[in-house]
Amino acid sequence: MRRALPDLLWTLLLAAVVALAPTVLKALFAQASVSYLSLAANAISLAILALSWDLLARTGQLSLAHAAFYGAGAYTAAILAKLGGLPLAFDLPLAGVVGAVLALGLGSVTLRLKGIYFAIATLAFTEVLKAVVQELPTGLAGGAAGLNVPPLFRPHFVPGAMQRWEIAYQRNEAYFYVYGGLLVLTILVSVLAQRTRLKAAFTAVRTNEEVAAVMGVRPARVKLLAFVLSSALVGMLGALEAMRLGSVIPDGTFAVSTTVFALVTPIFGGLYTTLGPILGAGVLSAVEETLRRTFAEGYLIGYGIVLVASILFMPRGLVGLANRLARRRRGTPPAADGEEAG
Amino acid sequence: MLRVDGLEKRFGGLAAVSELSFQVEEGEIFAIIGPNGAGKTTTLNMISGLLTPTAGRIELAGRDITTAGSAERCHAGLGRAFQVVQPFPEMTVEENVMVGALYGKPGTTYAAARRRAEDALERSGLDALRTVPAVELTLLQEKRLEIARALATDPRVLLLDEVMAGLRPAEARLAVELVRGVRERGVTVVFIEHVMPVVRDLADRVLVMNYGRPLASGSYQQVTADPRVVDAYLGRDDDEEEDEA
Amino acid sequence: MDLTLLAQGLVSGVLAAGLYALVSVGLALAIGVIGIINFAHGEFFMIGAFLAYQLSVSLGLDPLISLIFVAPALFIIGAVIYQSTIRYVLEAPELNQMLLTFGLSIVLQNLALVIWGGDPRSISNVPYRSVGYQVGGISIGLVPLGSFVISLALVLALYWVLARTRLGRAMRAVAQNRVGASLVGLEVNRIYLVAFALSALLAGIGGVMIAVIQSPTPTVGFAFTLKAFAIVVLAGLGNIRGILWASLTVAVSESLVATLVPNGDALRNAVFFAIIFLVLVVRARRTA
Repeated sequence: MRRALPDLLWTLLLAAVVALAPTVLKALFAQASVSYLSLAANAISLAILALSWDLLARTGQLSLAHAAFYGAGAYTAAILAKLGGLPLAFDLPLAGVVGAVLALGLGSVTLRLKGIYFAIATLAFTEVLKAVVQELPTGLAGGAAGLNVPPLFRPHFVPGAMQRWEIAYQRNEAYFYVYGGLLVLTILVSVLAQRTRLKAAFTAVRTNEEVAAVMGVRPARVKLLAFVLSSALVGMLGALEAMRLGSVIPDGTFAVSTTVFALVTPIFGGLYTTLGPILGAGVLSAVEETLRRTFAEGYLIGYGIVLVASILFMPRGLVGLANRLARRRRGTPPAADGEEAG
Repeated sequence: MLRVDGLEKRFGGLAAVSELSFQVEEGEIFAIIGPNGAGKTTTLNMISGLLTPTAGRIELAGRDITTAGSAERCHAGLGRAFQVVQPFPEMTVEENVMVGALYGKPGTTYAAARRRAEDALERSGLDALRTVPAVELTLLQEKRLEIARALATDPRVLLLDEVMAGLRPAEARLAVELVRGVRERGVTVVFIEHVMPVVRDLADRVLVMNYGRPLASGSYQQVTADPRVVDAYLGRDDDEEEDEA
Repeated sequence: MDLTLLAQGLVSGVLAAGLYALVSVGLALAIGVIGIINFAHGEFFMIGAFLAYQLSVSLGLDPLISLIFVAPALFIIGAVIYQSTIRYVLEAPELNQMLLTFGLSIVLQNLALVIWGGDPRSISNVPYRSVGYQVGGISIGLVPLGSFVISLALVLALYWVLARTRLGRAMRAVAQNRVGASLVGLEVNRIYLVAFALSALLAGIGGVMIAVIQSPTPTVGFAFTLKAFAIVVLAGLGNIRGILWASLTVAVSESLVATLVPNGDALRNAVFFAIIFLVLVVRARRTA
């Protein structure tokens, strides 16, 4: 725990930044801050997606089911809202629980699967789950057309005391705080996994399960723990997004692209670290936004080129690049190739 | 301390090990030798939990571990160093050893684990190399790491699988010292070896296996004088065997 | 149960299996011989489809004829992509390969989107599209039948190449032991290049056929990539022969559910992946 202190302090600092950001942005940019807050929420969403995926990847489980838990969380919120009775705020933790339970199930069944076999099994799970949700009674889950989800916040307009854009600002600000809160929670989990004895267990299991077991590590427990934590977090994200977007629909909510972003971002930023997924999310969001504003049509081509170039020139991600540069400045020889991948 | 009863391992129709029984006393250094294919590594794999016996019983300090998982066996006091060294390449020497120290025994606090790791590093002479990434070690250093990792799990019995393989004579002598030191701390050692001088220097008792069965046991002098053992290693004419059958 | 319906489902499934096998076998080649997890594989399929479309629109070429141009074009495209990007990540961790090929996939998909737009493009001058035969109450379309025959022929041709030709043997050698292969003088990089280009070519031909059967959009590739991966994994990595069986299993199951179960068509994907999931999980338990 003591070793986690520096990282915990950084996280505290980040939390403070998150708490102050909306006010600062509003003061500096007035109406433009509305869209900035929205963009920031998108970036935070990507960071949570990336951090939670990375957490699971640390145990060697390369999951293509991230969208499944995201969707499960989203639909939990949607269905609970439809059934009524619970204040919306409860939907978030419940979505996390649903994600965790689902992960326990999927994780147990896939324990013996490795590498691409595991990946494809999890992908298959996602597709099946999507179909199951689609085939649920329309009265419950909306079928192929999906459901509307009530928003988490209904800002109220006080004419005379507020300008019109401040409605949107209030709404975005409120979402920003909740997103920020979930981000801080996710970072905390990620940091704890890096700075406590869990890191030894995760890395050992990822590297060589058999040898890890001979040393007394229980691979099954470690893998399931990572799966449960990762899925609970992304399930909560799914619920949050559902409420912000206002709807869930099988094809969109369970889209493979969610999983793709979840895995591309940590690789780009630096795998098996906490900083990597966060940096990756920030940079990739910025890159995408910049490209979109510059090129309008076809900007994703540039995005794809960035990804291709990044892996050719930064095989260990942004964090790896930073480490390499730092080592060069210190004059120490570059580390051997056995080091952290991505 | 370690007791094996009627152990058998069949792969399909082939019995790699059969009717194997022996006992190892606490604090002994016990060697298992035999020609290639005698079933030595299979036996070790069954004791350490990587293979499940098709028949028989394995007991560690009176506790039945025949079907226990690898992690469980480790917690019960069984440590193992592999023949083909498998360090965790992404970690430093220190971190490698810490895995064993933290998880070798349930309920270990971080502080206690640190102490055990320190001890293991010192005993295996890896103290100066602790921050080196495991992937940069020489062969002898890797073998030391294997043993250090196993020691960090606080074992009562240490299984060593041909640790001398690939070592030069000078290095082998250092390894022998290392193993002796381990026993002096009260750890029972069971090892497989092909390098006979090592067996002669280290072993208190020797078990010879052939074709998956026990052939002879006793002190090194006794078994090497046994004509059956000599035959097993040198082989006999096929005709002679058929005559006797 | 209506036996005719059952038979129809079976037949349709078998016919569809051909295309699945064709696309999957190319991917199996990439994964097995080169060792590259290629998430852009489906894009070669998509490019084939759109090249066929474009040739039909610009030159009025019948898709069958356009194969003559599309096949070599895809071979070259595959080779270029290999030389410029793929060969640099062969030794890299799987995740890096995935990132690279995802990136390629995004580039190619969006390139196609920019050129052709997002709407489905149908090839219009295919007079034989609606031709079909009735065999004992079962209808067999000429186009599905034709694509099945072509696909099967190509897959078998690939099997033959792998088993009987020097190139094929070289590919198998490299797949099994890269270092050993180079030690005996095989030019490993050139073999990789050919294998990759071939995988692109096979996928591209599949794309031409899908362009006739359906109206493709630029995003059609990725769905096929995922299915191809699933089939390759189902057959077992390195088991190229198993691809035919795996394709048949999933295609027939898909088709049976679509035909026999009410509203089954919407469940096609689910059935496909449910089978994959079950087989993978059950197989893992058995090897424990």
